[in-house]
Amino acid sequence: MVKSILKLSKYVLLSLVLFIMIFPLAWMFRVSLMKMGSSISIENLLASGITFEAYAQLFAGTNTLMYFFNSAFVGITVTIGNILFCFMVAYALARYKNLTNKLLFASVVIVLMIPAHILIVPLYLFTLKVGIYDTYWSLILPWMVQPIGIFLVKQYIENIPPSMEEAARIDGAGEFRILFQVVMPMCKPALAVLAIQVFFTNWNSFLFPYILTNSDSLKTLPVGLAHLQGFQAIDWQQLMAGSAVAVLPVLILFLIMQKQIVSGITAGAIKQ
Amino acid sequence: MNRSLAKSFGFTLPWSLTFLFIWLFPLGYAFVMGLTDFNLLRPDETNWVGFENYRALFSDEDFIKSLKNTFIFVIGTIPITTVIALALALFVNRTFKGRALFRSACFLPSITSMVVIALIFTNLYQRGGYIAGLCSLIGLTPPLHGFLFDRATALYSIMAMDVWMSVGYYMLIFLAGLKSIPDELYEAADVNGAGFFRKLFSITLPLLKPVALFILVINTIKSFQVFVEIFVMTQGKFDTSTMVYFIYEIGLTTTLQSGYASAAAYILFGIITLFSLVQFALLRRRQPLW
Repeated sequence: MVKSILKLSKYVLLSLVLFIMIFPLAWMFRVSLMKMGSSISIENLLASGITFEAYAQLFAGTNTLMYFFNSAFVGITVTIGNILFCFMVAYALARYKNLTNKLLFASVVIVLMIPAHILIVPLYLFTLKVGIYDTYWSLILPWMVQPIGIFLVKQYIENIPPSMEEAARIDGAGEFRILFQVVMPMCKPALAVLAIQVFFTNWNSFLFPYILTNSDSLKTLPVGLAHLQGFQAIDWQQLMAGSAVAVLPVLILFLIMQKQIVSGITAGAIKQ
Repeated sequence: MNRSLAKSFGFTLPWSLTFLFIWLFPLGYAFVMGLTDFNLLRPDETNWVGFENYRALFSDEDFIKSLKNTFIFVIGTIPITTVIALALALFVNRTFKGRALFRSACFLPSITSMVVIALIFTNLYQRGGYIAGLCSLIGLTPPLHGFLFDRATALYSIMAMDVWMSVGYYMLIFLAGLKSIPDELYEAADVNGAGFFRKLFSITLPLLKPVALFILVINTIKSFQVFVEIFVMTQGKFDTSTMVYFIYEIGLTTTLQSGYASAAAYILFGIITLFSLVQFALLRRRQPLW
């Protein structure tokens, strides 16, 4: 008897937590499917039908499609860049142990601990000075090689015995061939973790894209959404539709490859 | 030997350049700028002022307020987040129906953009909104103009949202830590007749100490930099301005006092470094903390 009450209360508690965790996102989807301009009350949410009006208006009346493209373009470019460059750097740091590389690895670890937000003013001035302010370059270049990626991949390569590379070298393979055809395939798990981490962070990042660009045509989704919010004329249905557009791609990715994504996003944390 | 040095130099070049131009140079530049009265409105009339900016900051009411709010945010959210995350992890660590669904649901906020979360909660917190309705239901009077338009509730409402969004992430890190505790320890405890709480305090918590301290370190570094939620939800109004918001506002929008803002950034840098070093020292300690 006591046991079954305990079990029941456990499930009540679990359901409550589950509800609290899912509710806000469900709310977003529900509001986005309401008739535009209708009031957002519980009765209305339950009673009113489903319409895609807010989405239609969003794509017709704002640059959301452009923002979407920018987010995808920048996200994919930065992810590919990190896979290539972090891998290259990590390989050198793992295999060539000289003084410069020791110092470089120290710089990687130090940068991991630096709070990036303190750099908003100097980085803004820097992009202005070198002429990449308000271009795609300012969204891409600073994040092409991220210390967390170098760190993860270096740890991984150090656990691979160098015998394969040595065998390839004896067979006369060039350094780039060894790098990309011998070592890279062996690093797939680490590179997958890196790709997930970089893509998700980039897709959701707001502060730097916001301060390093100005034109509407360069806004990413989070920046565009914050911008839409500033307009008085924009109503909640449309704002939630825009939010749903920003969430859906990562949500779908998450549903398809949950395991990899969970380990990818938490790996950076655990490995340190 | 020289060839391998050249190769290694070539391979590491992307990071060397990034480190130099994106990190080291801006950091140095900000420090020097913080010692001047550099202003973006009149960049040609810059004077050397030494540590005057730092002195002025500590008598600047807005800065002190942002400092205070940041500390309230950090000290208010981190213990609550950590305890809830730990409790959830202990809960999820055993098998029950719907466990996978529960885990995924808790993780959902971690993959969602902060801007989106802030927008959703702006709606939920608004006057006559869902949370105000819940409050009336249990007999509390919600703030007249909505939770975000009231000095007494704005910052705490944002903090509650922050706890909601981060518990799932830290829960998963705790779970990984729980998995690394060998089952034999619990089996031995069972043989000796130890109860749930005895096992919790003698095995689980002591062995989770490194994970817990690690979570404290990353959460501290993150929480001291709180910005996006403030920007989207209140624009720093209603007593919610934080240090990064102050730096952004002074340095890039209102008065464009880049030098002054850089000095503030260095104070934040110093605070975060200090906190991280203390936590690392604790992390390294051999003796049990509790």
